[in-house]
Amino acid sequence: MDELILNLKNQIIEALNLEEITPDDIDSDAPLFGGGLGLDSIDALELIVILEKYYGIKLASPAEGRGIFKSIRSIAEYIEQNRTR
Amino acid sequence: MISVLSTNITSPLGMTSEANYKAVRAGRSALARLENWHGMPSPFTASVFSESQLEELKVDGFSRFESMVIRSVKAALDGTCIDVGSDRTVFILSTTKANVEALLPYSGDEYLDPGRTAEKIGRHLGFVTEPVVVCNACTSGVTAQILADRLVSSGRYDTAVVCGADCVSLFTAAGFLSFRSLSVDECRPFDMERTGLNLGETAATVVFGNPEKYGDADSWKLCSGALNNDAYDISAPSPAGDGVLDVIGRTLTNVSADELATVCVHGTATMFNDQMESKAIERASLSSVPLTALKGYFGHTLGASGVLETIIVMQAVDDGVVLPVRGFSELGVSGRVNVSNEMSCTDKRSFLKLISGFGGCNGALVMSHGNDACNSDSGTESEARILHSVRITDSSLVIDGHSESVSSRGKQLLTDIYTERIGDFPKFYRMDMLSRLAFVASELLMKLKPETLPSSGIGVLLFNQTTSILADRQHISTISDTESFFPSPSAFLYTLPNIVTGEIAIRNGCRGETSMFILNGRNEEMMDDIIKATLSLSNPGGLVTGWADCCSEDTFEADMKLIIK
Repeated sequence: MDELILNLKNQIIEALNLEEITPDDIDSDAPLFGGGLGLDSIDALELIVILEKYYGIKLASPAEGRGIFKSIRSIAEYIEQNRTR
Repeated sequence: MISVLSTNITSPLGMTSEANYKAVRAGRSALARLENWHGMPSPFTASVFSESQLEELKVDGFSRFESMVIRSVKAALDGTCIDVGSDRTVFILSTTKANVEALLPYSGDEYLDPGRTAEKIGRHLGFVTEPVVVCNACTSGVTAQILADRLVSSGRYDTAVVCGADCVSLFTAAGFLSFRSLSVDECRPFDMERTGLNLGETAATVVFGNPEKYGDADSWKLCSGALNNDAYDISAPSPAGDGVLDVIGRTLTNVSADELATVCVHGTATMFNDQMESKAIERASLSSVPLTALKGYFGHTLGASGVLETIIVMQAVDDGVVLPVRGFSELGVSGRVNVSNEMSCTDKRSFLKLISGFGGCNGALVMSHGNDACNSDSGTESEARILHSVRITDSSLVIDGHSESVSSRGKQLLTDIYTERIGDFPKFYRMDMLSRLAFVASELLMKLKPETLPSSGIGVLLFNQTTSILADRQHISTISDTESFFPSPSAFLYTLPNIVTGEIAIRNGCRGETSMFILNGRNEEMMDDIIKATLSLSNPGGLVTGWADCCSEDTFEADMKLIIK
C-alpha cells in the first residue's frame, strides 16, 4: 500500500504539474479538493486519466469519481480493489 | 445595431442557408456514429462532411478548413453589392481551432496559425483590410457578431463579413473525449437521458452592413448584444446561471420578452450546460418563451455555432415556426423552460440567442426582423486612458515605463516574477506558457489598480498571433500514439487561447467581458479600434488588455495595460 501511495503521489504531481511539491508534502488522508492542493474540476478529470493510464481502471464520469477522489488513500484503496494492470 | 444583408451555411446538410433550413425543418440531421475514425479509440457521434461533399468544397491550394470558409463567404457575398476591396469592409473569422489538424500526423500540410490563415483566405477573396480572428471558445460566433456590430456602429467600417467555421478533427474529438463530454449516441438537449455533446463541422457566414447605407427597413437587424464572464470556474458554468442571466438582462433592452418568438439556447446536451441555461432562463422570467436548441441537427460546431444557429433561427422565424428540439423527449433540467420536440407556430419577429463557453464566457444577441424599437447606438466617443502598463519579454520586465532588473530568462523569468512578486496562486504552475505569461502581467497590473476601480466591472481583451501553439503541440503529443492514447484534459483546455482571459477573470472576480483575438501580426490600429469600440459600446468599468504572445518557452512578449474611459 505504501508503495502504491508513493507512486500515486508522483503520478499526480507529474500530471497536475505540481512543481515545487514533493510526495512528502501531500498528506495521504487530507481532502484532495477544496484543500491545500487547490484542485479544480479539470484536475478531477486528470485523476480519471491517471486511473486509466496506469491502472487500467475506466471511470465514465467525474460524478463516479466523487466518492473515490476524497484523498490519496481512498484512491489507493480503490486501485487495490479494481486495478487491471 | 446593424443590418443582415446576406447569409450562407455550408454544412453536411447543405450548401446554402435555405437548403440547411429546409433539411432541419424536415427533421433531418447529419449526425452519424463514427467508428475507428482517424485514430479515435472509441466510437462517437458527429456531423461531418462526406468524401463527395469535401471533393465538391475543395478549393485548389487551400486546406479543408480554408476551402469551407472560402465557399461559404463567396456564396454569402454573391448577390450583395458589398465591395470587399474597400477599406471600409472588414473580415471577421470566428473559429476555435482553424487549421489545427495540419499539426496532426495524418496530414502533411504546412501549419498556418489562424491569423495567417485568415489573411490567406481574405486575400484570396479580395479583402484589403486586415482580418480579425475571434478565438473565444464556444462563444466565438456570438462574440464575432457583436464585434461586427461595434466596428460598424462605431463608424470604423461600413460592412463586416463574419464567418464562423470549425472542422471535426482528432484534435478536438480527443479533447472532448478527455472531458468526458462526448456522447456516443445522438445528443439529447435538455433531456433526462442526455449524456453529452456531438461535434459537428460547418462554415456559416453573415454579411452585415451599416443600416443607414445598406439593407432596408425590412431587413433583419442585430439589435443588441452583450458579453461577460461569470468568473466561477475555468471549465464549468456558474450553476445558477448568473453569467447568462446578466447578458440576457443587458441584451433585452429595446425588445421585450413577449416579443420573442424563441430563445435559441446553447443547448450542448451536457449535464452542466443545459441545467445552467434552464436556471438562467427561469430567473430571467423567460420560462414561457419556446426554446430552440439545434445541436441535434448539426452537432456542436464550436466556432461556427453562434453564427450557424443565428442564421437558422432567422429562417425559421421568417417561416413562422419554432423548430422542434431534436433528441428531446423528457425534461431533465430543474429550471422551468418551454421545450418541445414538436414544431410550433409563431407570428413574432424577434429572438434571443444565448451562448456560453470554456473560460467562463457568456454571450447573448437579440435579432429582430423589421422592429422599429431596435434603435441605432453609436455609443459615446471616449478616449481610453491608460492607468498602468506592464511589458514582459523573455529577458526583460518593464512596469509603467521603468525597467526592472531581472536575473533570469525565458520560462524561468516568469517563474521568478511569480515567486518574487505574486506567490499566492499555486495554479500558476499548472498553466500553459501563454497563460503564465498573461497571468503574471495581469497580476502586476492589478496590484497597481486603484482601489476605487472595482474588479467586478473589469473586462479582459487580449490579442496575439501564435494562439496556443505550445499547448496545441502538448495536446497532440498525448494523442499521436494509438497504443498510448491518453489525452490530458488540462492540456486540451489550454489549447483554447481564451482560457487565460478566464483565469484572469476568476482570479480577480472580473465579470466584464473576456475575449481573445488573433491577428496576423501585432496590428496596433486594429487593436485600438477594437478596444475603443468595446469601451464606447459595452461600458465596462475598465479593461485589462493588450498583446500576449508566446511562440516558445524562450520567445514571448506580453505588453498589457489597465485602461479606463
